This record gives sequence, C-alpha cells and structure tokens, in this order.
Amino acid sequence: MKNLLEHMGIEEGRLHFSWISSAESTKFVKVVSEISEKVKAIGPNQHFVKQEAKVA
Amino acid sequence: MKVIKIDKTEWTKGLDALRGDYRLFGPVKEKEYCNFKELAKGESPELDMPNTRLSPKSLVFPQSEAMMAYSLAPGEDQNICKEVPKDYSPRAILGIRPCDAKAMVLVHMNFDNGDYQDPYWLNLYNASTFVGQACDKPCGTCFCTSAGSGPYNEQGLDVLLSDQGDHYLAKVLTEKGQKLMAAAGWKSEADGQALAGKKTAAETAITSQVSTDRLKSLDTMELHGADFWEDISFSCINCGTCTFVCPTCWCFDIQDEVYGKRGVRTRNWDSCMFPIFSVHTTGHNPRGTKLQRLRQRFMHKLKYFVDKYDQGIMCVGCGRCVQQCPVNIDIRKVCETMNSLDSEKFCAVQQGK
Amino acid sequence: MIAYTEKIRETAQRLLKQCQVEMVIGFRAGSMPMMNEPCFIRKPEDAGQLVWDSNCGINLANYLTDRKEGKIGIVAKGCDSRNIVTHILENKIKREQLVIIGVPCQGMIDKRRITRKAPGEILEVIEADGQVTVKTATDAQTYAKADVMQSNCMVCKHRNPVVHDEMVADPVPEQTDVDPYEDVKAIEAMTSEEKWKYFDELLAPCIRCYACRNACPLCYCPTCFVDEAKPQWMGKSQDPMDVRTFHFLRAYHCAGRCTDCGACERACPVGINMRTLTKKLNKDCLDLYGWEAGLSLDSRPALDIYNPNDPNEFIK
Repeated sequence: MKNLLEHMGIEEGRLHFSWISSAESTKFVKVVSEISEKVKAIGPNQHFVKQEAKVA
Repeated sequence: MKVIKIDKTEWTKGLDALRGDYRLFGPVKEKEYCNFKELAKGESPELDMPNTRLSPKSLVFPQSEAMMAYSLAPGEDQNICKEVPKDYSPRAILGIRPCDAKAMVLVHMNFDNGDYQDPYWLNLYNASTFVGQACDKPCGTCFCTSAGSGPYNEQGLDVLLSDQGDHYLAKVLTEKGQKLMAAAGWKSEADGQALAGKKTAAETAITSQVSTDRLKSLDTMELHGADFWEDISFSCINCGTCTFVCPTCWCFDIQDEVYGKRGVRTRNWDSCMFPIFSVHTTGHNPRGTKLQRLRQRFMHKLKYFVDKYDQGIMCVGCGRCVQQCPVNIDIRKVCETMNSLDSEKFCAVQQGK
Repeated sequence: MIAYTEKIRETAQRLLKQCQVEMVIGFRAGSMPMMNEPCFIRKPEDAGQLVWDSNCGINLANYLTDRKEGKIGIVAKGCDSRNIVTHILENKIKREQLVIIGVPCQGMIDKRRITRKAPGEILEVIEADGQVTVKTATDAQTYAKADVMQSNCMVCKHRNPVVHDEMVADPVPEQTDVDPYEDVKAIEAMTSEEKWKYFDELLAPCIRCYACRNACPLCYCPTCFVDEAKPQWMGKSQDPMDVRTFHFLRAYHCAGRCTDCGACERACPVGINMRTLTKKLNKDCLDLYGWEAGLSLDSRPALDIYNPNDPNEFIK
C-alpha cells in the first residue's frame, strides 16, 4: 500500500505503519510525536484531496 | 440556400472574429486520436483526421455535470437546493460530422418530447451553432448511409462545410448558421454546383452496408426470444465503452455528493451495460444477466426506438462502437442478424401451439 | 502461431465429439483488422469457427468465473493459464471442470502501436514468418513482429501454459534477457511531484467505462467497490481524484494476483497504460515475497498466507 501510494506521488514520509498495543501507551506517544514531526516537515498534503467534485 | 466560399487563407481570421461572439469547440489532437474540446485562443480545429474517438455529445451532455447545490450552513441559502450557475453563452461547434449532428437530432427527440424537457441538455444545445464537416473520406466502419444519415447529410447542422482543396464551400442551412457566417466575416457567395458531385462520390465511398428494412415489421417478442442472443452476448464484458462512445446513447444517473454541510447534485453518464443499471431498491435486478443487458441495448437501438418514433434506427452509423469494443461485438453483424430473423421459425400458429 | 489454428480446431472437435467437454471457449475471426472475438462452441461441427493468431490478446480466463457447466474446454496461452490457476485457487472454478488447451504463445500484436505507425485507415494486417505487414489504402509497410508486440508480451517470461490438458504445439523457449520492470524502475526514479504529474497525465483521458476492470479476469466481485453505495467509497463522476482513486484501488485489489496479461490496456478505448500501476505491485510482490501469481496450483498467494519471515521493516 505504502509503495503503491508513493509510486503514485504521495511523498515519502507521509504514510507510516506501526504495531502498537493498547497497553503500550508510551510507545504510542513516541510514535505519534515522531510522525507528526515528519509529516509537518513535508508540509500540508495536496494530493488525493477532493473538496468538491470537479465537474462541468 | 446560400453557399459561401471560404478561402483557407481566410479560415483562421474568421475563427478569430468568431471568438468575439462565440466560444469555439472543435476536434483537437490527443495521442493518436482527436476529441472535441474547447479551442484555446489561436487554436484551430483539426479537420484532417478521421472522426473523433469520443462523440461530441459531451459538448451538450457533459459526462459529469453539476445540476444543483445546497448547503446546511446558516445563511440566506440554508437548506435551499439551488441551480448551479452555468455558462450558456453562444458556442460554435466546428467540424462536427453529419452522423454526429443527426445523432443530436435523435437525442433531441428524447430530451424534448412535449411532456418533458431536459433543461440542461436543451440549454447547451440551443446555445450551440453546428458547423458541420462533410466526410469525403469515410472509414471502413462507417455505415451512415444505411442508418438514415450520410457523409453530406444536413440534419442537425446549421452550416455544412465541404473541403474543396484550397477553399471550403459552406452551405448555410439555418438562420443560426447565417448569423455565424456573418460574425466570422465569411460572405463571398459561390456556386454550390460542386457539392452534388462530391456528395455522390462520398456516398459511393461508403463500403459498409447494413440492412434495416425488416426491423419495423418484425415482431418484437420474436426478436426478443430469438436464439442468437446467447452467441452474440457471450464475448461481451459489460463495460461501458459502446455506450460512452455512442453519440445517441443518453442514459444518465443522478447522485448527490455530500461534503459535510454542503452537497452537489451531479449527473453522470450511466450505461445499460453496467450490472447495477437496472437494480431496484428492493434489490431485484430485471436485467441481471449479461445476455439480458446486451439484448436490451440492441433491441433499444434497432427495434424499440424504431417502433416508438418511426424515424429509423437509433444508430447513425458512426462506427465508433465497432472500432472500440474490446471484444469486437459488431452492431452491423447484430443488425443483419436481427433483420434477417426468420419469422417462420417462430410462428406460433404454424407450430400448432 | 498460425499453424495453431488447425490444431485448436482439431482438438476442440475431438473433445466435443467424445463428449469430454460441453463447450469450448476460444476465439473466432473478428470483423476488424487486428481483432478477434471470444466465442464458444457446443457442437463439433462448429470447430471450424475457431481461429488463433497474434490478435488473441483478450484473456479468456475472464469467461470462466463461476461457470456452472460440468466440463469446459478453454484455449489458454501462458498468461491465461496463470489466471486460470489463480481462479482455481480463489474458488471461482474447479480444476475438474476444465480441459485446458494450452497454447505456447509468442506474443500478441499491439493494435495501438500499429495504428500510431500507419498513415491512414488500416485495411488489413497480415502476419507471416515473424513479420507483420500493415496495409492502408495508400501503402503497405512491413515490421518485425518483435517491434509491434504488446508491451507486456515484449517482456513476458511465462509464454508457455503452466497448466494444461492438451497442448497445440511444443513449448517455446522462454525469454530470459528481458527486464519486465524497466518502466516501473523509471517511475521509481522520479521525485514525488514528477510521479504525481505522471499519473495525472496518464489518467486524464479516462472515461470510467470500466473496460479495464471488466476485461480483467481478476475483477469478478459481484459488486465492485465503485458501485458500493452503503457506504459509498468514492464518487462516480469525472472528478480527477475519483478517477485516480478508481485506478489506484483496482490495481491494489490485483496485488499479487495480476499476471500482466495486458487485457486491461488492450480493452481501454482511450489507450491508457494502466499497467504501470499493476506492474509496480507485481514487482513489489516479487521483491518482498518472491511471489509471482498463478505459477502453481500448489502454493497459496503471498497476500493470502502469513510467513514469520515476511518483510516488515516498514512497520515501526
């Protein structure tokens, strides 16, 4: 999934996967913070966004 | 009816003059084929290629069209479904072939039939002036002469252009056409004698002939129950290619797309070939099998329309479905098969039933 | 390849006469140059209808899904046979129902490639001895078949049927010096913005006719995700995001199952090369799991089973 999305033009670093159990709260905080940093660094997402159908 | 000579050197000048009053549309090259698009400033329509891949029906019947919009947000328009603003300013469709223009006439019968009018289609159609291009080099898949049209057919056109080498002869057919010619500044009247000869030559160049003479008199139920449908429909993959490239197919589906507190009512082309085309709210699907759907399409084009309107078949012989069907289902073959149905085999009386 | 026609007819006739099958699915001659029409025959005397040449690009395995007949004969080239294997593994047809007439394939002609080269309307295309002659009203050009084949055939490494009950000829040598993923690698080398633009341009002509989906033997869902309404996953209009989502998700549903038969590209009326998406997934399956679809009836597909050694460095 990640590979295909990146193949289509989603920037590397926007999609992340992680195994986190509900008992691993510290890991959850760490991962979420890391991902937030990384994605913020890339900037707002412009792709696969549909505000309203672009039709005639 | 006036005939006007347009020197090819005057062509672009005329187009530029038209831009003041009309939005221009015409065939534009894309990959190895052409399609009808709006012509950008300085762009001329491509008139030397075979007919477009997709039909010009999208100019009056866009594939996806917003009809109305509504919003739940507080304000003047809260909860009101309003028409979406549209641009119905005059438009000139340049280079449409006689088959496609006739197709517009056939579709017009459906979208303006006395009881009901489709305002979206009619507004675009009425705003358009159709400048047709006669076909001097028909393709091997063209069978317009068998389908009630022809390479120099005038139905649905406001002007008909015939390429004479270094100039066009433009036959002005309607008031709208006259208005367009005046706006373009094309006014040197000419003798239209050359047109008759060209017409005959073009009609003779059509090699594909299809018989349709018995379709009207054949019994609908016999055609419906014929045994050839299984063989014809086997290869069909039920995509929407034939319906989408066909200039006379008019089916659409209306749907609301919702974005939070706003919504847009859109209509999109639909296809009777799609499995869910005829699904009822109960879940029942009267045309759940491929055979039923394929049979319905050909019966509609070649029999139901004939019976309902008595204006010939609902096909103009443009040949697009023949060229694009991924599995080579050929409407010409189907038409011949239907037309030559042997009623004797089905006559209930003779079979002693 | 032309000689195959006689053998196919002979085999079909024999199978029907001996009641080994109730029907044979194959091709009959089309009404247009470079086109053949999939067909079925039920009587031995109709075997003369069947033809085989380099215009048999449509994947006949598409017509097998959920068939109820007890015994079906089917003409299958390399890629088709791999799709039959996938069909069997996915329970869409049973092995016992099939008599597979295997065809060692040497590639199909790409009608779009030829149309681009021809100066006018193509009247006839004749193939003989590895050469393809294309006749228009004004001239005739001959090309080496290798230059006008479908892109997937040019890089095919599985030309021989992987499963068969009959074979119409001896197996042909497999191509070994081809890189099936050269075009995928070219896209992988682009920046994200270039990739986005590449697919924007690729998918711009799409008219949502679903010919690609319907020609694909793998796309057999009773209700395709585009037709789902409760909930509706994506719009049905020509909005560019919706068009892109359709192609992206369809490719994703074929992950690990696509055999690169090229039927999707062949069916497309506006000439979109959507294989650039499916091939990326095929390459990933090969790289990550060492898996290629439909090669054997004995192994479950890679995305179907779990192996502790499955690569997972993408998961934190």
